[in-house]
Amino acid sequence: MDEAVEMTSASALLERRWARYPLVLGTFGVGAFVFLVLNVSLGSVQIPLPDTCRIVLGGEGSTWVFRSVIWKIRLPRALAGLLCGSSLAVGGLLLQVFFRNPIVGPYILGISSGATLTVALIMLGGFALGFASVHPFFLSLAALVGAMGVMFIVIAVAAKVRDMITLLVIGLMMGYIASALSNFLIAFAEKERVHKFVLWTLGSFSGFRWDEVKILAIAASLLLPASFLISKPLNAFLLGEEYAKSMGVNVKLFRLLVIFISSALASVVTAFAGPVAFVGLAVPHMARLCLGTSDNRILIPGTILLGATIASFCDLLARTLFSPVELPISATTSLFGAPVVIILLLKRRAAI
Amino acid sequence: MSLRTRSLKVGYGKRVVVEDIDLEVLRGRFVGLLGPNGCGKSTILRTFAKILAPLGGTVYLGKRDLRRIGQGELARRMAVVLTGTPSPGLLTTFDIVAMGRYPHTGFLGRLGKEDIEKIWEALRTVGASELAHRYFGELSDGEKQKVLLARALAQEPEIIILDEPTSHLDPRYRIEVVLILRRLVREKGVTIVASLHDIDLAMKVCDIVVLVKDGRVLACGPPEEVLEEERIAELYNFERASFNSFLGGIELKSRSIGPVYVVAGSGSGAQLYRTLAKHDFGIFTGVLPENDVDFHVARAVGATVVKEKPYREISPESFLQASELMKESHQVVDAGFPVGEANRRNLELVLGALRQGKVTYALRNEEESRRLYGPHASRIIRSRNISSLIERLWAVECLCEGGGSS
Repeated sequence: MDEAVEMTSASALLERRWARYPLVLGTFGVGAFVFLVLNVSLGSVQIPLPDTCRIVLGGEGSTWVFRSVIWKIRLPRALAGLLCGSSLAVGGLLLQVFFRNPIVGPYILGISSGATLTVALIMLGGFALGFASVHPFFLSLAALVGAMGVMFIVIAVAAKVRDMITLLVIGLMMGYIASALSNFLIAFAEKERVHKFVLWTLGSFSGFRWDEVKILAIAASLLLPASFLISKPLNAFLLGEEYAKSMGVNVKLFRLLVIFISSALASVVTAFAGPVAFVGLAVPHMARLCLGTSDNRILIPGTILLGATIASFCDLLARTLFSPVELPISATTSLFGAPVVIILLLKRRAAI
Repeated sequence: MSLRTRSLKVGYGKRVVVEDIDLEVLRGRFVGLLGPNGCGKSTILRTFAKILAPLGGTVYLGKRDLRRIGQGELARRMAVVLTGTPSPGLLTTFDIVAMGRYPHTGFLGRLGKEDIEKIWEALRTVGASELAHRYFGELSDGEKQKVLLARALAQEPEIIILDEPTSHLDPRYRIEVVLILRRLVREKGVTIVASLHDIDLAMKVCDIVVLVKDGRVLACGPPEEVLEEERIAELYNFERASFNSFLGGIELKSRSIGPVYVVAGSGSGAQLYRTLAKHDFGIFTGVLPENDVDFHVARAVGATVVKEKPYREISPESFLQASELMKESHQVVDAGFPVGEANRRNLELVLGALRQGKVTYALRNEEESRRLYGPHASRIIRSRNISSLIERLWAVECLCEGGGSS
């Protein structure tokens, strides 16, 4: 009798918890939408909201300037912010679960350092192939090559090494080597170029063009659902590799999948936006703490939506706070994100 | 599901931990692995669970080579409970147990109605249903262990591998867990292979025990045959303790301060022997019949025992032997034994001690000691309980030692 009562109360509490998930996810979704709208409508050129709506829906604005500002500058940038936020956050989440380490982010395996190195070679090392100024798309390509290069090395190592800590350390060390080489180049480069390069390493969503957004969108539309599809083995991994194995997870395959998905997500973002700090590290924590679960089937959608929200919000700050000077995106993400994580953590008793 | 090994060699990489393992475990048996820390129990279990690959030889599950069974199929037949508690983050107890359904659910792990019922059933079986909504990280170690067991049960395996399943549990849960396991064996024919540290428990719940030491299987068989005093002492290198299979427990051996002569019988001395051993007193005792519980406890704690055949009156030889020992001891305790036809002469022993002027104690009330010892009763120091007796014995012993050295 007593046990039956206790059980019903426990299951009632469980159901109350489950009922919260759609609510929180909905809030994240609304947040992402609100910041998307704000990003499109706010900026140095004042565009009235009705005009904005009409233009976005395909109509004509009051002047052609409005139309061109929104379609050519703000909309691609705002969408890119959403996609980059989601991608980085999910990349971070996957690696946090995989390494069972809460302070891991999507760049932990050296992805960003690889990209930085190739970009440094182009921007500082005089590998501009004779061009006076480097075409931005070429820069993106270089970053992508660097990031993917590191990714394939890490995957090759992961296929051989059994121990995941070893893998983590190898990734870290590769990052250090790439950074060291970049620093060589910095030492010998002209001041002005260094300034530009440093700004690149801090990331920015500015200057996104539609074809870049398309590539991002294609990558995200493949990789984000893929990460959701591996949420079941990802959950099993929460109990550790040995339990996961005993529950029937193909650990070798799973390991490669996780590294591939997370690195590819981070690579694509880095190629176009540069290394964007903190989103990939902090958003999974925020989502976990807001939702109150580590269940990846809930957490991955939550992380996608919250990543989009946070990145959009931070880009809005970066653009508007000291307009016309634009802040690097990494500055706003870290400045805003770190205190939020600390507050959320202190409010929770259970360890992450 | 039966489990068989053929010249199995287990270890990590090139380091062999245990070799020449030839076991045959039939379906529905409870097998306990016993052995000192680091002897390789966990390594063997991990190899059975296919977490480690064997370094040589073969493990057969049913009739098939374990290597030939896919990870997914294995998960539907075998569940494991490992040592150490994972920290899975913000997962509820329910979520953890639900993971047991992993091999039975579809691609995204959606739980059907039947799955949910099985999860609750597993939670109820270990008595953790009221914890279902709590975060796993907030539970106590014992609760966590029960939840991990529930997870294994929800997996509906035919064989369960458990690495020290009772190590964090209080006595009540320890019993509960082994009873749950025994019930699985009896009702569902589940095979259980567990490493245990509790010899007493192993003796009571296992059908077969496997003793592992120094990279070998020392012995294997029914606990009634295998768990002998000498073998257990060898297994764990007991020097100051011993396992007594009659008593089903470990007794600490004393290292002899004293010695103290205890006259006991019919269980009156058992607790006193243990307490004396704990305080390092040497113990002489007797005369005790061989079927007396005091006899077994006294031997287990390493006392020098003067014995007599069961149901016989104390013979002159035994009496003489006891008297000799008494002369060597500094103090004498009458443990408050019941006096009957067969052990009347034990009273004479106590009286003899009084005559010799030994310091003599009795755990009896005044009336009783007067009835038994007549006029001598006044010279007996009466103690209410064992702890006050121990204090007095200590005090006198210190005086004796001090006197001896000066």
